Amino acid sequence: MAPEATTLLQGTLDLLILKSLATGERHGLGISRRIQQVTRGTFDVKPGSLFPALHRMEEEGWISSFWGESETNRRAKYYRLTKAGRKQLEAEAKRWGRISWAIAQALEAS
Amino acid sequence: MPFLAKLRSVARNVFSPQHAEADVNEEVHAHLELLVQENLRAGMSSEEARRAARMELGGIEQVREQVREQQLGHWLHSIISDTRYGARQLRKNIGTTAIMVFTLALAIGATTAIFSVVYGVLLRPLPFDAANRIMAIWEINNKGGRSHLADPNFDDFRDQNHTFEAMAKYADFDGSVSGSVQPIRTHLAYASADFFKVFRVSPMMGRNFTPSDAKKGAAPVVLVSYGYWRQYLGSSQDLSQSHLKIGNAVYSVIGVIPRSFQFPKDAAMWLPTDLEGENTSRTSHNYLAVGRLRHGVTAAQGEQDISAIAQRIHATSSEQGDYLLKDALALPLQASLTGSVSTPLYVLLGAVGFLLLVACANVANLLLAQAAVRDRELAIRSALGAARKRLIRQFLTEALLLSVIGGGLGVLGAYAGVQGLVALAPQNLPLIESISISIPVLLFALALSTIVAAGLGTFTAARATSGDLRKGLVEGGRGQAGSQGSQRVGRAIVAAQIAITLVLVIGAALLGRSLMKVLEVNPGFRVEKIISMEVSLPWAEDPKTKANQGLFFSNLIERLKQIPGVRKAGAISNLPLQDGGGLPDGQFLLMTQNEVPKTMDGFAALFQQKDRLGSADFGVATDGYFEALGIPLIRGRIFNEHDGADSPHVAVISESFARDLVHDHWPGQDPIGHTIEFGNMDGDLRLLTIVGIVGDVHDYSVDAPPRPTLYVDLFQRPRSAMTVTMLSDAGTQSVTSAARSILHDLDPEVPTKFSTLPEVYGASLGSRKFNLTLIGFFGITALLLATAGVFGVMAYSVSLRTQEIGVRLALGADSRDVLSMILGQGMRTILVGVAVGLAGSLALTRTVASLLFGVTATDPLTFAAVILLLVGAALLACYIPARRATRVDPMIALRYE
Repeated sequence: MAPEATTLLQGTLDLLILKSLATGERHGLGISRRIQQVTRGTFDVKPGSLFPALHRMEEEGWISSFWGESETNRRAKYYRLTKAGRKQLEAEAKRWGRISWAIAQALEAS
Repeated sequence: MPFLAKLRSVARNVFSPQHAEADVNEEVHAHLELLVQENLRAGMSSEEARRAARMELGGIEQVREQVREQQLGHWLHSIISDTRYGARQLRKNIGTTAIMVFTLALAIGATTAIFSVVYGVLLRPLPFDAANRIMAIWEINNKGGRSHLADPNFDDFRDQNHTFEAMAKYADFDGSVSGSVQPIRTHLAYASADFFKVFRVSPMMGRNFTPSDAKKGAAPVVLVSYGYWRQYLGSSQDLSQSHLKIGNAVYSVIGVIPRSFQFPKDAAMWLPTDLEGENTSRTSHNYLAVGRLRHGVTAAQGEQDISAIAQRIHATSSEQGDYLLKDALALPLQASLTGSVSTPLYVLLGAVGFLLLVACANVANLLLAQAAVRDRELAIRSALGAARKRLIRQFLTEALLLSVIGGGLGVLGAYAGVQGLVALAPQNLPLIESISISIPVLLFALALSTIVAAGLGTFTAARATSGDLRKGLVEGGRGQAGSQGSQRVGRAIVAAQIAITLVLVIGAALLGRSLMKVLEVNPGFRVEKIISMEVSLPWAEDPKTKANQGLFFSNLIERLKQIPGVRKAGAISNLPLQDGGGLPDGQFLLMTQNEVPKTMDGFAALFQQKDRLGSADFGVATDGYFEALGIPLIRGRIFNEHDGADSPHVAVISESFARDLVHDHWPGQDPIGHTIEFGNMDGDLRLLTIVGIVGDVHDYSVDAPPRPTLYVDLFQRPRSAMTVTMLSDAGTQSVTSAARSILHDLDPEVPTKFSTLPEVYGASLGSRKFNLTLIGFFGITALLLATAGVFGVMAYSVSLRTQEIGVRLALGADSRDVLSMILGQGMRTILVGVAVGLAGSLALTRTVASLLFGVTATDPLTFAAVILLLVGAALLACYIPARRATRVDPMIALRYE
């Protein structure tokens, strides 16, 4: 079974959400499906984890929200990256890169 | 900016939560719809689509709750909503809430009031600079007790120590002061040169003492207190004009001591010691002493130092004998001043702590009963997603609300209570002026309320949320309410209350009986109708002046006898039972006329013979004194007109003294006719012939045995300060105003102070009455609370079992059977409480043994009476609900849901 997103560290979920918004605005379901898609099904973020994260990140000021119409003409709440959010994304991505390189090194060492 | 954004969010969440809520709600529903759409596009039927969507979402409410918890300011919002909800709950049962608040207010208020006394007297540091470095120094006599210091001993301590940076001797006494706006009789202190150095006090005006001020022949100077300076010197800026006549000398005022310094207590001025030279004897214990430890030196080191010096004196002095010090001790000044009251005060604190526990137990039971009713509410909230932690927080909030309101009211009550306590307390309670509701006391009250809240809240929360909450949703189910566990806890609490109350009430009863026994003691003299009048003439040294003073008193007494209503009048050097303990004691020497030595060396040799020595109380009196106070003459005679200054000096001794003398020194003989020398007290070395034996007088205190006493004739051994006692049938007012004018006629410069023996007697029992009043109050309150507690738990238990009782009655049980079943259960709880309380009392009442008189700490009569009282009250409290239980109509009971 694919691991639940809740087993991810909070920062990692944030990173995934930020990244999914890097290419444009999405609503909650859209973000969830996008993450599922790009991680090839590894991470399935449930609403119970997604919504708290979205609201927290909105309060941090990294994303902003507005009500709009979905593809199926239903009302949905959309999110987009703010400038601070873009900066956060860059910083987090770099940090993640460093961490994964370090772990890879550790694993390779005999 | 992220920070601004956060602030906006907090504001929005706290102040318009509905808007945020609605938004989230909408979003979650929208998400659900999108999921449904997705599923429909994937080909599911509309029902399947919706169901699948629901499952993937989780629960709508759960998601909303999780978002809510995530929000900034959520904690603040939930605290506010918890508080509002809690307040609503409390208001719903306003009656019970009022009872709980009142109970808590009473208990917290009483505890705060008592703590303010304990803090003011025992814990608060003395108002001196680095007060914990100031030590009180005592000599230790051969009986192991503390005594004042003799001048040469003090000098050795001061000069030979390595551990004190300053040391001073001091004494306080009452004296007459004139030369200012008005002559008064007031409290004065003698202090050696370094006295103010020890306390690090500088005069606010003028100069301090120097060593040259406190030695023989120095020009007399005096330092006055701020109060005296303001009231009697008119706050004069020029002290060089101020001279005060004290005793026989005129003192120049050299400085004013700041208002904040008050040691010894109530001293109006400080005179230097040793103006007449030091007393060279190492056995004349005249002064108290204090010292300030050097920086870095511990109290233990200081004590060892002084002790070593004392032991050296003991080993090498030529003045060997019973009165030479054996050792010395130094202890912190605060402990020295308050040591005697620390046990009673801590006992009081313990007692009020017990009351607090009983009160909290009652409130806990009430809260438990309420919580049981709220099962359903708890179950619903839990189903809606409230975490257990949240529910516990709710109970804590309600308990905190109760405690804060109750505590607040209690503190307000404590303000009044402390004033009452200070008025009621024995006026000689050390540091009584430091008792007030100060910041530390308020902090204590706050901490206490918080602890009570935490305890009550956690307790009820634990009970209410244990087990599966959803049981409460089951129709007709009782959830936690009827559970055995809950009832057992209630009963255990009641048993604990009964135990604690038993200890308290037994303590109060023992103190009460002690007081009654003390009141039964015959003090040895008449108390009613005696008016006393303190008269102090200036201190005289030469025989002529002294003889004149004797005449003065003779005149005064004669004229006082003329006042209508005054039947008898006499004078005594110190009134019995007066604060300060009556007559002073000293050393006497037994010798016959032909043993009288011709030289001082001869005397010294006699003092070496231990079997000639002894100690007794010494009083100067007129024959009228014994008549006025009704002290019986047992044998022989009292003083008469034949005893003049030139006739052989006579003395009258107390009955127990006579018995001891006969037993120890003159077996088989009549003490009348024997001679004794008691010059240690007034310097007159002439032999005294015993001419009479009078009854014993409880001079020191009513609960101590009478001490051996010897009285000499005022007209043979004149004294400047005497207290005249008058036996009068007329009212106190008329007699005192007549007496005042008589004294004024004789000498307008002599001040006087009036009192009555009933007042003095009552005051001597002051601390006993104080302790009894307080502990009695706690005991009665605890008894009422515990009885209410028993009643409450019993009634509740019966109401729960109505159905069961109905069944029993319907099946043919006698109402008597039901009664005895219920009562039996109640009795079990009560008996357990009594057993635990009994064990507790046996263990704890020993700590109050020092406060008892005439009863032992395990007096069976008292114990039995109190146990009966308590069991009786508790049984009554059980009986009423039990009776009600028997009246249950089985038909109604069976239908009860």
